[in-house]
Amino acid sequence: MWNAKRSVVLSCICTKIVIISAVLFLLSAPYWVGLYVDYASKNPDIKNPLIFTVYAAGIVSLVLLFSLNKLLSNIRNENVFIFDNVKLLRAISWCCFVVAVILLFSGFYYILFLFGAVAAGFFGLILRVVKNVIEQAVIIKTENDFTI
Amino acid sequence: MPIIVNLDVIMAKRKISSGELASLIGITPANLSILKNNKAKAIRFSTLEEICRVLNCQPGDILEYVSDDE
Repeated sequence: MWNAKRSVVLSCICTKIVIISAVLFLLSAPYWVGLYVDYASKNPDIKNPLIFTVYAAGIVSLVLLFSLNKLLSNIRNENVFIFDNVKLLRAISWCCFVVAVILLFSGFYYILFLFGAVAAGFFGLILRVVKNVIEQAVIIKTENDFTI
Repeated sequence: MPIIVNLDVIMAKRKISSGELASLIGITPANLSILKNNKAKAIRFSTLEEICRVLNCQPGDILEYVSDDE
């Protein structure tokens, strides 16, 4: 039967798959970028800036994914309302903003990145609100735990 | 916190142990320890009522206000 615990396990597995895929993609990024530029008949001059964007955003995304993995393992261990999770959500939110800035500047040479920048900024904003909610929940839980 | 819990003083006067008091007022020894060590953020009226009943005292005997300046 499907339950919350299995849902968290599924999320953990998905996150790990994405981490492995991201690492593999980053290791072979120049190849994939070259393939894209050739296949989509793009200006070859954008190849190097594209590789730079992919690595810059990719490394920040890896930090984000590892934070997400740690957050999920805390949830799996039934430690939901703790300050460690607030810190992780803050880190994830900032990673989204950093990716948004990287993509925003990359939008100068490749306009489609601007859509990614807006999406990343929007995710960062949502996560910031979630972080604020969890932060208040931690304070309420602590107060409740210490009410005798 | 300016509110001090003087539970240990009253317990010593009544010659009652922590375990015994915890079972008499119906809270866990861990929670009683939080209360005794001034780690508690709040106390329920029901808990205070039980403590006063078991120790035969007034809330003022247990709780004391000490200004932060002191």
